[in-house]
This record gives sequence, C-alpha cells and structure tokens, in this order.
Amino acid sequence: MATSAASYVSDIPRVDTAPRVPWTVWAGALAVTCSTIGGTWDVSWHRSIGRDSFLTPAHVLIYACGAIAALICGYLILYTTFGNSQQLKNESVAVLGFRAPLGAFIAAWGGIAMLTSAPFDNWWHNAYGLDVKIVSPPHTLLILGIRGVSVGVTFLILAAMNRLAAAGQIHALSADAESTYKTLQTLFLYVGGITVIGQMFFIQEYTWDVVLHSTGAYIAVGIAVPMAFAAISRASGNRWACTICASVYTLFVVAEIQILPLVHATPKLGPVYYPVTHLVPGKFPVLIIVPAIVLDLLWQRLRNWKVWELALLSGVVFVAVIITVEWPFANFLMSKAADNRFFGSIYFDYTARANSYERLREFFEPASGIRLATGLAWASACAFFSTWFGLWFGNWMRGVQR
Amino acid sequence: MFVRCIAAVLLLLIVPAPAAHAHVGSKDVFETVHAGPYTLYVTVRPPNVIPGVATVEVRSSGAAISLLKVTPLPVTGEASKHPPAADVMQTSTADPAFYTGAVWMMAGGTWQVRFDIEGASGHEVASVPVVAVPIAVLTMEKGMGTTLAIFGLFLVLSMAGIVAAAVGEARLPPGVAPTPSVRRRGLIATFASLVFMAFAVVLGGHWWNVEAADYSANIFVPAPTKAVLAGDQLDLIVKNLHIDDRRGGRSNNDYLLDHGKIMHLYAIREPDMDAAFHLHPDLVAAGDFRLSLPAMPPGHYNLYGDVVHKSGLPETLLASVDIPASMPGGALGVDDAEAVAAPIGAGELDASFKLPDGYTMVWDRPATMTSGTAYSFTFHLLDQAGKPATDMQPYLGMAGHAAFVKTDGSVFAHTHPEGSAAMVDVMLANASLDGLPGATNMAAMNPPGPVTPDVSFPYGFPTPGRYRIFIQMKHGSTVETGVFDAVVQ
Repeated sequence: MATSAASYVSDIPRVDTAPRVPWTVWAGALAVTCSTIGGTWDVSWHRSIGRDSFLTPAHVLIYACGAIAALICGYLILYTTFGNSQQLKNESVAVLGFRAPLGAFIAAWGGIAMLTSAPFDNWWHNAYGLDVKIVSPPHTLLILGIRGVSVGVTFLILAAMNRLAAAGQIHALSADAESTYKTLQTLFLYVGGITVIGQMFFIQEYTWDVVLHSTGAYIAVGIAVPMAFAAISRASGNRWACTICASVYTLFVVAEIQILPLVHATPKLGPVYYPVTHLVPGKFPVLIIVPAIVLDLLWQRLRNWKVWELALLSGVVFVAVIITVEWPFANFLMSKAADNRFFGSIYFDYTARANSYERLREFFEPASGIRLATGLAWASACAFFSTWFGLWFGNWMRGVQR
Repeated sequence: MFVRCIAAVLLLLIVPAPAAHAHVGSKDVFETVHAGPYTLYVTVRPPNVIPGVATVEVRSSGAAISLLKVTPLPVTGEASKHPPAADVMQTSTADPAFYTGAVWMMAGGTWQVRFDIEGASGHEVASVPVVAVPIAVLTMEKGMGTTLAIFGLFLVLSMAGIVAAAVGEARLPPGVAPTPSVRRRGLIATFASLVFMAFAVVLGGHWWNVEAADYSANIFVPAPTKAVLAGDQLDLIVKNLHIDDRRGGRSNNDYLLDHGKIMHLYAIREPDMDAAFHLHPDLVAAGDFRLSLPAMPPGHYNLYGDVVHKSGLPETLLASVDIPASMPGGALGVDDAEAVAAPIGAGELDASFKLPDGYTMVWDRPATMTSGTAYSFTFHLLDQAGKPATDMQPYLGMAGHAAFVKTDGSVFAHTHPEGSAAMVDVMLANASLDGLPGATNMAAMNPPGPVTPDVSFPYGFPTPGRYRIFIQMKHGSTVETGVFDAVVQ
C-alpha cells in the first residue's frame, strides 16, 4: 500500500539479508558491452573491409544489445505492470499506463529508437548513398537508442544503489548488503566507463590525431566528457569515479589497437588508396585520464563549493590540463616514434590517400595565436556548461530510487 | 526527422534527375569483351545513387569459363592500382554461360569493372569502364514515411512520459504515492519536454534538409552549354563547373581525344528527326568548341556533344540551334557524316534503309524489343548489287558508330561495336591492367583485321517508347548513315 513520504523513512526495514544484484542489471551491463564492442568493430569493419551486410559480426553485437534490452525491459514492464509483486510495483514509475523502474522505460525507449533507425538508415543509404558518415540523422537516432539503453541500465543500477544507500542511512547495512552495494557501484562505474567510451566514440571524427592541434577537438571533448565525468562522479559517490571511467575508456581503446590488427581483412570495395591486410583500429585514446585524475582530486577537496563555482573552475581546469598533455602528445603521435603497434600510428584505412594529412602525418589546420586562444576560451566555456549540467544531473541522479 | 517523415508521406518514389552523364538517360553499360580465347557480353547497371551497388551480368561465349570473378576500381589514379578483393560471379542454374554479380561503387567518377577469368584455356584479365555518378534523388515511399512517422511520434510521446516519471515518481522512496505537487511537476515536465523535443525535431528536419541539399548539389548535370551561330560558324560555349576529382573531375578545358576527336557532335533536326549530322568541332579556347557547319536543311536542331574529361569521365553536352534557310554552309568534313530520312510522323521506317549512293543498310531487327534487355543489334552494308560491301573501311577507328535516340529527346546514346563505353575509357581501363598476369591489352580487345560489312552493337534500351537509330559505316571514302526505327515495349 502506498504511504506518504513523511512516514516512509521510519518504515524502512533493516536490510539484514541484502537483495542480490538482479539479473536484469547484469544483463544490462552485458547489453551495453555488446553495443560498445559492436560499434567499435563496425567502424573498423568500414575502415578495413568497407562492404557490410545485415549480419556482420559487428552488427550482430549491436543487435544483441537491442535484443537483451528488449528482454530486460519486456520482463520488467510486463512483470511489474501485470504481476503480483508489490515490491516491484513500489519500486516503479508509471509511463503511458505501464509500470516499471525508470531505467526499464529509458532502455525500452532506446531499443525502439534503435529499431526505428534500422529502416530509416536503410532508406538513407538508398537515397543518399551507403555509409559515408558516422554522424548522419539515422546514425544519430541509432546512437541515441544505444545511449538510451546505456542510460536505462545506468538507472536500473542507480535506483538499486540509492535504495540501499537510503536504507543504510537509517539502519546500518549488513555485510551482504554492503557487498551488494559495492557490486552495484562497481557495475555503475563500469557502465559509466562505457558511457565515456560512447561519448568519445561519437566525437571521434573531431578528435582524430591529425586534428589534435585544432581547437575543434578540444571544444568537442569539452562538451562531451566533463558532463559524463561530473554526473558519474556525483551519482556514484566514488572519490575516483572520473579516473575509473577514463581508465575503462583508455584500456578499451588500447585493447582495440592491440587486438583488431590481429584479424585478417582486405577491402571488398573501392576506391582503395591504401592496401589493408587486417582490421584497422581506432586512434590512440585521447589522454582524458589526466584531467580525470585532476578533477577527482579537485572534487574531493571542494565538496562545499556551489555547483556553478565548481563547474566554472572545473571547466577551465579540464581544458587547461587536456591541452597541456594532449598537444605535445599529438606531436608524439605524428612522429616516427609512434609508428608501432602499441600507439597504432601505423594503421590507415583503405580510403587514406597518399596525399592525405593522415598519410603525410601532418596536422590539419593547426591553430595558433588568437585563433587558438579564442578556441580554447570556447572550449572552456563549453566545459563549464558541460560540467555544470553533469554536476546538476549527477546530484539529481542520487535521489532516484525507482 | 519526424517532420520530414510526415512530409515524405506525400512524396513520390523516385524523382529522376533531368539529365544523365555520358549519353543522355542511358546509364547502363553494354560491352563486348574479347579476352584471349574468352568472349564476354557484359552489362553493368550502375546505381542511381553514389555510393551504391552496380549489378553486373555476363554472358560468355568462346572458350569455357570455370571461374569468373569481378571487382570495381577507378580507371585512373592511385586507387586504380589497388583492386579490392574480387567476388565470384554466380552462375545461372538455367544457363551456365550466364553470370550475375554486384560491385559497390563508393565515389563518383569513372570506374572499371575488372574481370578475372579462369578456364581450361588459361587465365585472362579484362576491364570494362563504367561511369558512376549520382543521377537521382530518392524520395520516401508513403508506407515507409507513415511507419517512420508513427515510430517517431511514439518516441516523442513516450519520452515525454519518461521525463514526467523521472521528474515525478522516480525520486520518491518505494511505495510512496506522488503528492499533488509532484504530479504538477510531472505535468510541467511533460509540457517542457514536448516543447524541447519539438525543437529537436525541427532541428533534425533542418539537418536532414542540409544533408539532402548537399547530396542534390552532387547530382550530375551536364555543363551548361550555349550554341552561338554566326554565319555558318557554330560555337558551343561550355560553362566551367570546376568539379574536382573527388566528384568526378571535369572542367571546360580538360578533354581527351576519343577516336582522335575532341568532341563527337550529333545534330538532329527536331521534331521529325529527319536530318542528322555527325560532326567534329575543335576546341579553340577553354570552353569554346568551334566548327564551320556544312550545308544543313533549315530548322531546329538538338545538339549532343560527346566529350571525355582527363579524369576519364565522359559527358554529353546538350544544346540546340536554329539553322536558318539562309545559312550557306560548307562541304561536309572528311570524317563527318550526314543522313536524311523520312520524318518520324510518316510512320516506322523499314529494317532496310536505302542510301544515297545506291548502297543499302539492313538491320536484323528483333521481332520484339523490351526495355532493360541487353541486345546485340547487327547491321549489314550491301552494295548496289545487294551483295555485302567489299571495300569496307574503319570509320574513326571503328567498324561502325551508332546513335540511339528516343523520339521524345529523353535518351541519347552514342555507341560502338565494342560497346557503349567511351573508347578512351576502354583504353584507360585497359592501360591500368599493364603488368598484370593475364592482362588483355587493347589490341586483343579490338582485334586488328579487315572491317567487315556486318557490324553488331551491344545495347539495351533504357525505357519503353519509340527510338530512332543512326548507324554509320564506311566503305571506300564514303561514310554511310543508315536510319532505323525501333518500338520498345
């Protein structure tokens, strides 16, 4: 039976035997892992082989994300709406007449967006040509859908975490409950890392190695990354949340660079300007791990600052740190010293022309002087708003219990 | 996107572009390939949209083939040295000599479809040039538009519901009923999210429009050309479109010689198509093709000027000119040709065409012809005695030239016995084979030897309707032009 908010706190039972991490959360983490690997593999497929079909392994992994999401959401929505579990009903919200945890609805929305993007993308290929851009309207809908699943899974974990945390504020949690909480927090940070990978994936065309001396790269990173860092840090309550998420991103991309070239692949369409013999990986990860460490240290020490003050300082610090480390590192990536399997500067896709900036190892439109200063000012402003939104949203997320 | 989906419901399936590339309204390539002991009759149907997939059909004759592979690559440039992995063509179960396949063409320009031929008679490689340029805009079918619109509407409404739940119940402890203020917050959030999403949908629609406009800007159109007549001097003034190599590559001063000529100009009197000329202007300045016209019957002429750019991209320049009765005109050039026939309105011409010098040209006209089907149309030149002509000569390096022209002006294709591709492109495609094992060179593609009075042209009519066909063959020093009609189902 529903109760009022005022009476609820005193009604919270002691959590002696903690609820186990539900299978839906594990399956959700698996779903977002599938889409992340699938998306990365798919981009490599297009850069190495070029021609694809509905059932390439990369596509199957992306579909698996949608299928797992459908399974989780279908179960949660139908079981909560039509089942007899009062506990599930109590931990649910209502959307369009159905009841389920908020995360289930968000993930379901993501799945339907993915489903909608498929015929739309197919039509787009017929109308405007086969995949030539990552950022096209149907791809954006697909990425929004994948991101919806990711956010939905995040909320499923978060609600379970927050309920345990709320219970822990009233009565001390049992050892099992503590263990469950830690597992949920670890999963939350892992999915947060996946979210950071997703953010960097979406802006990869703007952070290619040859544009790392252009201000556009730092504006893109300034928009995409701080909001994820701030939201995950605030929502998780972990002191090293940014560092952990950035590490997940860095390790994922480094692993991609080491693993994908082991797979034989040749172009199946032209024009071929560079003979490729294996899957081509992405570029070396942007060093967001450095500002992540700095932001973690900063936020550990400035807990009492107002959100806007913290966002202003964090935005400027983020851009100052990333430009300080990435600018010289980009020089290194363009040098012969990076021409090896670890840093991956030796890999080019089959469409890379001999006179392209990438093959010549030259920066595209490098910025300097006023243009650089103006661009960095814009990047800082973007990072400020991005951090502010992330902090605000992260604070809000900590209250989500359903 | 949603806005576009709704709008798309009202649109038609395909809006064809006003013009095609080389030839007009006739994009498919029909070629006869002689590769060592093998002979392939090749049809390549390029996509309307680039990047896109071209279909390839091959009928084999000559030596038996055990394996036929196909791969696409540009005719020139660095990429012409790096063929993608070849695909094995599928053999028809009904006809083992008929093969089908598909090749992906990811950029606009002149490509070659390369064939790797294996058989007991050895390994051969040959290429057929194919022009791939975007020529159409696909608009959305009503069913697809409605489906996407429904999904889009559902996504918008369900997201509004999710936002309402997030702002309302989501932060309440389990089991706690929402208070009126929480419900009010949810309603406000619903409204705000709907406004936000409406804005996002409008922005998405704008993005879609920009992408569509970008694509439309790349659709192939022939360079605008104006005919200026002064006395009997005709100047064709061609606008420079400055199109770079990534989009096909063409300017108004980058032409290659094709059959030794910078332009092959067909002038056909409209609307009766009862007079036709095959002429050869010179390029006297950038974008200025000039020639002195021969004596021509007065009237309105459609002009089709075939040129080939340095990139290998062929183009048919379109213009028209009114020839006054007072124009004196000179003598027909040595390499020029003319024909006079009964007007279109007088009924369908016979399959036998009487030439001015008493010779006769005869067409083995199929009983029925359907659009989209590849044919090999054979014509014979007979002397005054009705015997096969014996003094045959190549005309501009070929056994014959053909022009297939639809009576409504929507199709024009100037082809040769080897096929419908420009000869200079065939040379470029085969030049890229140099050094490859089994490569077939130009000499093998065009076996030297006497020109016979029987000439076949591989071609397929692109659309149903009535066509007039102009066939040129040379005997002695006379270039004959036979005129025929075809009704295509």
